[in-house]
Amino acid sequence: MAAAKLSVLSAALVGAAGGLLLLSLAFPWWGMNFIAPQYPEGLEIVVYPNKLEGDIEIINGLNHYIGMKPFSEESFPELGYLSYIVIAMAIAAFIVALTRSKSGLYVLIAVFLIGGALGIYDIHRWLVDFGTNLNDSAPIDIEPFVPPIFGENRIANFTTFSYFATGAYIVGVAFVCLLVPLWKERKK
Amino acid sequence: MKKKVISALSGLAVGVLASTVFFGNFSTPDTVSNASAKTDAEKVYVPFGEKDEYYLFASGGHSGQMFIYGVPSMRRIRTVPVFSPDSATGYGWDAHSKKMLGGYTWGDLHHPAFSETNGEYDGKYMFATDVANSRAAVMDLKTFTVKDIIEVPNTSGPHCAAFVTENTEYLFLPTRFSVPLGHQYASLDEYSEKYRGVMSAVTFNEKAQKLHIAYQVALPPWSYDLSDAGKKISKDWAVLTTYNTEEATTNLEINASQEDRDFIVLFNWKELENMVKEGKYDNVGGQKMIFPEKHKGGIYLVPVAKSPHGVDVTPDGKYFIASGKLAPLLTVFSFEKAFQAIEKKEFAGERNGIPILKYESVMEREVNPENALGPLHTQFDDKGMAYTTMFISSEVVKWNPETGEVLDRVPVQYSPGHAVAAEGDTVSPDGKYLVSLNKLAKDSYLSVGPSHPESMQLIDISGEKMKVIQSSPVDPEPHYGQMIKADKIKTVEVYPKDENHPNAVYNQKDARIVRKGNEVHVYGIAMRSKFIFDANAKRPDVIEVNEGDKVVVHLTNLDFDEDITHGFAINQYNLNMEIQPGQTNTIEFTADKPGTYPLYCTNFCSALHQEMTGYLLVKPKQ
Ligand SMILES: [Cu+2]
Repeated sequence: MAAAKLSVLSAALVGAAGGLLLLSLAFPWWGMNFIAPQYPEGLEIVVYPNKLEGDIEIINGLNHYIGMKPFSEESFPELGYLSYIVIAMAIAAFIVALTRSKSGLYVLIAVFLIGGALGIYDIHRWLVDFGTNLNDSAPIDIEPFVPPIFGENRIANFTTFSYFATGAYIVGVAFVCLLVPLWKERKK
Repeated sequence: MKKKVISALSGLAVGVLASTVFFGNFSTPDTVSNASAKTDAEKVYVPFGEKDEYYLFASGGHSGQMFIYGVPSMRRIRTVPVFSPDSATGYGWDAHSKKMLGGYTWGDLHHPAFSETNGEYDGKYMFATDVANSRAAVMDLKTFTVKDIIEVPNTSGPHCAAFVTENTEYLFLPTRFSVPLGHQYASLDEYSEKYRGVMSAVTFNEKAQKLHIAYQVALPPWSYDLSDAGKKISKDWAVLTTYNTEEATTNLEINASQEDRDFIVLFNWKELENMVKEGKYDNVGGQKMIFPEKHKGGIYLVPVAKSPHGVDVTPDGKYFIASGKLAPLLTVFSFEKAFQAIEKKEFAGERNGIPILKYESVMEREVNPENALGPLHTQFDDKGMAYTTMFISSEVVKWNPETGEVLDRVPVQYSPGHAVAAEGDTVSPDGKYLVSLNKLAKDSYLSVGPSHPESMQLIDISGEKMKVIQSSPVDPEPHYGQMIKADKIKTVEVYPKDENHPNAVYNQKDARIVRKGNEVHVYGIAMRSKFIFDANAKRPDVIEVNEGDKVVVHLTNLDFDEDITHGFAINQYNLNMEIQPGQTNTIEFTADKPGTYPLYCTNFCSALHQEMTGYLLVKPKQ
């Protein structure tokens, strides 16, 4: 029976993963930087689990020249519920930590993997949507494009840099906190 | 063997000679540059990406404008219209500035003054006065735009202004011209009886951003030239120079230069303030007016070499230095001695009911630099040294007010009026830089015909000796300037949203045109690269009105982005205004010309700026 339970250290790590998930909500998860000759200081979009920050209005104003839809917090329904999913995951992690349930850990890791994949797919879906559904009557005609989730791209006079931000890295550390017990417990 | 040695030696000698010729350093020691000894060019060069160390606010004189320069580059950064319309910014056309200008189309901006806290520039506001139409203005240094202008009654031409007291309690406006109270008609034969040189005490309400006349003083009918507020021990006091105490009414050049002495008016503004509180004033056309012959106290006269121009208080507040522009003499007066004489009532009679102090009992020392002529105005450095411009001998003289010793002289081209040192009239001048504001440029720059610009010369005053290191042309006409450390000024780059602004439209979908009888109110937006006046119209960028309608156009610039300013102009309607990033601005007009008038953005904003257009359609009356 005892073998079915996680060790105290493993349980503590799972609990820490839950704490890190909550902490990640205070930080941006993803962002994009726009640099142009006229904007050497750069414009940026910063995405939190529940809000957008940065030079949204300026970027929207410029994007209308290429016929891109304006974006706002309202255009991303995910921002309305993503933080609740994260909180739910954190609570689940706390429960697993308290019950020291091995099977709970497996479920948690599976949910984590699926959630992460869905999250990345979701960002990609939006990038495709905004980059390819361009208004035909826009003053400047450009080829539809899909900015990468991570890395550099060039659109007109702008060079963009997409990046994962602090929150995403915290979530990454949380994931490692779940993987370590998985490995440790298997060895036994 | 000997031959070999000789040939070896001669070979060596040729080698040394050759290497000396090719690699030797024949430059004189002072052309060798090192970090501590920059060349003049290096001292004034500010590479792209770096900013100037100081802002220079140069009065624009009869342009009615203020010129903003960077020091040490001496690059002109901006022209800020104050007392005259400026088509580049629509100043004088939009509703607020049009109302402020009050129908006047020119102004004569003389002596600018920064707001102060504890005798230091605080970088918040700039005050200026208009000698042409007796106005005072305040500029907000967050936006470098004028917030309020008042017209000052009972007075004409506040040349002697503006100076602010140590904590901007008051901005004083003494006048150059005496006129009858209320600008009434009065024969010049009655000059001495009916004319007055009224000084106004103006307060500034920072919250409301409004200027207000607290009280006025009916000084004698003389001309008041320049002034300064006391500092530290003299902080409750102020000094003014006078000329034409002869009370001449014609040919002042001769008739106002007869007496050997004119006066410095020394007054205690705290005492005047108390007199007003105690009701010791008369009501003149709604103004509280102190008549010195009736309401005694607080004002004294100090005799001074004739027809003085500048009077400047030393940074420690102990002395005031007056320069008689016709007598080649600088006089250092002591505030402490003046206070003692006042306490002991050591007076040499009265003029117009004002007690006269004895010259000898207030004078600390006279300074007479050899052959220096026409001392006009004095500034100070961080060591307390004085720098006086000499209009006639066309030079700046550096001297020590404590000893009277002349330390250095440097010629300037040509005929300096004022000079301005880095924070040079505060309680703690910075030293470093002095700008000589020269009245004549003559052959200094490429010729532009008979009318020349004026000239500003930058002088390095960081060392023992002064050095002119840059010369910069300037439009007419800097009378005085203010030089402030750049980091003291905190500008905003975009106007913050003000959700309570009744005329602002922050969502382009809310743009609308509202008709009220024969008034048409447009609540529109400007953004790269379009106008939206009515979001629901077939053509959102068209304003259609009837002939004779009063049209009020409110526009909000929705580009909350640095330097994305839009303009709004209507062809042939003689209308243009500027809408700065995030700003809501208003223009009003009567559509009295039927027809079709294109409208467009005047301030280049984007790649499609040329497309930022629309129409004003004015339907003719049936
Ligand atoms: Cu524009």
